[in-house]
Amino acid sequence: MRDVIVIGAGGGGPVVAKELAARGLDVLVLEAGPRHARPREQWTSFENDANNPLSGYFRLGPTDRSKPAWFREWSQNSFVWQLSGVGGTTQHFYGNYPRAYPGVFNDYDKPDRAEYDINHRFPFSYGELVPYFEWVEATAPVMTAAMGTKEAVFFRGCETLGLPVQTTKTTHGPSYRPQENAILQPGGNAGRTTDTNLLTYPNATGCTFCGYCFQGCMRPVGAPRNQFAKRSTDNSYVPMALTADVWAPGGRPVELITDAYVTRIHTERRAGALRASGVTWRDNVSGAEHREDAKVVVMAGGCTENPRLWFNSGLPNPNDWVGRGYTDHFFDWVIGSFDDYTGNPKGVGSSARLDFPPYGGLENVGLPPALNAFATTLSDSGIRGQYANGRGPSGPWDGPAGRVMGPELKELVAGGLDRLLCVLVITDDDVEADNRVVTSALPADENGPIPKVTFRHRSRTARTTRNREFMAGKAAQLLRGAGAKKVFRIDWAPLILHVQSSMRMGESEQNSVLDPNAESRAVKGLFIADNSALANGLGGPNPTLTTQALATRTAEKIFQLHFGGDPWVRAESPVVSTDPRISVRLGELGL
Amino acid sequence: MSNSTVALGRRAFLARLGLLGAVGAGGLLSRGALAAPAANAQTDALPGLVALLRPVLAELARDTLNGLSVFALPGPDPYSAAQGTPSDTPGAMEARTTDFLIEALDNFVPFPDQLARPAGAALATGLADTGIELPGTDLLPGELATLDKALAALLENDATLPLSFPISGLLNLLATQVNPLAVNGPFLSPFARLNYAEKARAFELLEGPDSDLVALLDVQFPEPLKASVSGLLKFVGGALIEFASFGSYTEYAVFDRGTRQLTGRPVGWQLTGYQPDGPVEGWDDFIGYYQGRTEVHD
Ligand SMILES: Cc1cc2nc3c(=O)[nH]c(=O)nc-3n(C[C@H](O)[C@H](O)[C@H](O)COP(=O)(O)OP(=O)(O)OC[C@H]3O[C@@H](n4cnc5c(N)ncnc54)[C@H](O)[C@@H]3O)c2cc1C
Ligand code: SF4
Repeated sequence: MRDVIVIGAGGGGPVVAKELAARGLDVLVLEAGPRHARPREQWTSFENDANNPLSGYFRLGPTDRSKPAWFREWSQNSFVWQLSGVGGTTQHFYGNYPRAYPGVFNDYDKPDRAEYDINHRFPFSYGELVPYFEWVEATAPVMTAAMGTKEAVFFRGCETLGLPVQTTKTTHGPSYRPQENAILQPGGNAGRTTDTNLLTYPNATGCTFCGYCFQGCMRPVGAPRNQFAKRSTDNSYVPMALTADVWAPGGRPVELITDAYVTRIHTERRAGALRASGVTWRDNVSGAEHREDAKVVVMAGGCTENPRLWFNSGLPNPNDWVGRGYTDHFFDWVIGSFDDYTGNPKGVGSSARLDFPPYGGLENVGLPPALNAFATTLSDSGIRGQYANGRGPSGPWDGPAGRVMGPELKELVAGGLDRLLCVLVITDDDVEADNRVVTSALPADENGPIPKVTFRHRSRTARTTRNREFMAGKAAQLLRGAGAKKVFRIDWAPLILHVQSSMRMGESEQNSVLDPNAESRAVKGLFIADNSALANGLGGPNPTLTTQALATRTAEKIFQLHFGGDPWVRAESPVVSTDPRISVRLGELGL
Repeated sequence: MSNSTVALGRRAFLARLGLLGAVGAGGLLSRGALAAPAANAQTDALPGLVALLRPVLAELARDTLNGLSVFALPGPDPYSAAQGTPSDTPGAMEARTTDFLIEALDNFVPFPDQLARPAGAALATGLADTGIELPGTDLLPGELATLDKALAALLENDATLPLSFPISGLLNLLATQVNPLAVNGPFLSPFARLNYAEKARAFELLEGPDSDLVALLDVQFPEPLKASVSGLLKFVGGALIEFASFGSYTEYAVFDRGTRQLTGRPVGWQLTGYQPDGPVEGWDDFIGYYQGRTEVHD
């Protein structure tokens, strides 16, 4: 019998695992996908080798790349970009760590209060989460992003919009700024040379500006795993969880098993209440099933997998909110074409942002050629100049929105990828009951019935639609201000990678799965600690910091409620995940 | 429905798939192979014919996907020229996008058999007559019936039907809906014969909310799969374009899996100027910190 089983080693799971390992609990982490313990042998930084969603080393599938990926159904033109493996989807994230907007918490009382999704707020105050934000910001660690050319161009555009620069962690209103990033700032030769010989650790530390974030960060060469620039959890929280005995007094390292697909959560009735008692997992390689019992089970399989596992385990769903209220920031993509060099695609994927509560936000994004082509062709508005698929909105961009593809794309990139600047449009989108995960009618796979993700993107709420149009307009304005000669809006089909709130916590028992402690209302001892636990889409900020802050709080709640322990975040100081003790221990473990 | 209507409907359907073009005069399968009367075909000749048909379908799929690839990235090749978008710089054919698509579709799309099978069956038996007038072919009714039987046998019984075939079948059906004249011409595939605007129109039909084709195909599936299929087709419409575009700009064609190195400069890099000196460990693009601020606090 374990103390705690954590399902999933992505953005959220390792946080709970690391925190409870530091308290000396016996924690087992089960991860469905691979562990890339030797990225220099397993990764390349090439786009197809890395990001092919069917066969790349970053995909949703088992370790064995000759086996197919796991099939998910979505019944609209859309793409759910989720990864399996240690680090989960953070393996190709950009480490942008903004805090949630204060307006999405239940104590917010500023004049624009009613302009947020007030029916789906966090069931506590912004202030309640601040110590946890600070704890994660110190652990990751989060730093002010270094500036490259693409940031300078973005800021040039921001400066024409009449907005202030944000110089705080908390976003108080419309403003722009460098990202607060979970990326180590460049040190030594990093960012200052292209000479490979000069870019080895410790002559180079932190971000080398390689521009390969989407393909995984394994830089600088020769750095210990916990000193790689990008703080995906395979570089930050997982190394800490595996070495808890060396940096936490009384700490106990977690056990991590990969290629271990949890197919069922078990429950039992005790004193009249339904309680989680353990899990069954399946070994991807042998197909063997294993069962482990635990006092507490923590789900962290992501927004799409958690509802699936819930349904497949036959757990109760009394208010029918399991899988509902999925938010995705209803992204869009706006591209500016410039006469001059823009620095795209060098440096961290995104290091600059503009926040515009209560509408959403913008960030600059640099992409390599194939992802750029994917991004310009993922549209719900047909093909520019050919057909509009019933949409094709016009506005401060050039011509109707739609795919830039074929000959037009070829012409666009012919001036050089580094004459383009792309802006991601992030919408403050409402929690809507009909955007959801259900069990697919398609055949089950080896792990049980598969999930189906439905987004009714053409009939989103008036507020969501308004916010998206507003932010897309701002993006075009920004690019023109920065000097873009032409501006294209793609009108993306749903690209679901800022995933939130499909197992949401909430104030009301009527429309939430979790109580304010992130414990499920229906099954005691069953917690959720990833993006799906979030109450809403945070107003637009990238979700991982808030998820990790909440997961830290959830770890405390688990320790207090189920193990009779005391909270620590307000009483202790966090250890930074780059701590040399962790590096040394990783070396001893051969990691 | 009278026998002759059925025959006519099937003939039109096989033509629209591109299959009639691939058989007979100048095609990949000789008329002689189809000479056995349909009745006998059931027994002895059919397995042999099915074996002959399989590579024909593979070629047809490849030709169709060539037409899709250059739609995503035209270059200096005949398919791009036929599409009306010739180009001097390398394109999808040089980037081996067709191979990229076939490899993905046939080996890696985890498309459940339970879905692939009815999709194949739908193509084998469905869409009899959509009222589109087609130019004639030179196959005799007996030959046609034999071909049809062999196709049905292959589609309905082959447990490992490569997904590239139903996908190309779909594109070719759409192509002949957009332009019935595309049943004849250069190449094997009607889709590959379309010009750029016509290909776009084919995708418009596939992506559109009320595609007749989607409705027609739905008929072939039992509930609750039926609803899933029409949704999936919309997804497929977008995904084919997105995946072909993605693939065209990757290193796929010049990646050596053994050494995990490039054997040449990817087309996508040539076209975009990406990494002029090859892969890097870092760039010298660090300018400083905006307004000199290296940290912030509340
Ligand atoms: C390109 C890209 C860029 C991004 N950039 C940012 C950014 O800059 N900032 C930001 O905040 N966010 C970013 N995100 C989003 C970020 O990746 C997610 O917020 C984060 O990874 C979510 O964490 P999670 O734990 O909810 O899910 P995941 O990270 O998806 O982890 C879930 C894990 O659980 C495993 N799992 C699932 N089911 C099971 C099961 N049944 N048994 C065992 N294991 C299971 C999965 O294999 C996976 O490893 C980005 C995403 C993408 C795709
Ligand atoms: S750009 Fe920086 S953070 Fe991104 S992969 Fe390269 S070194 Fe890592």
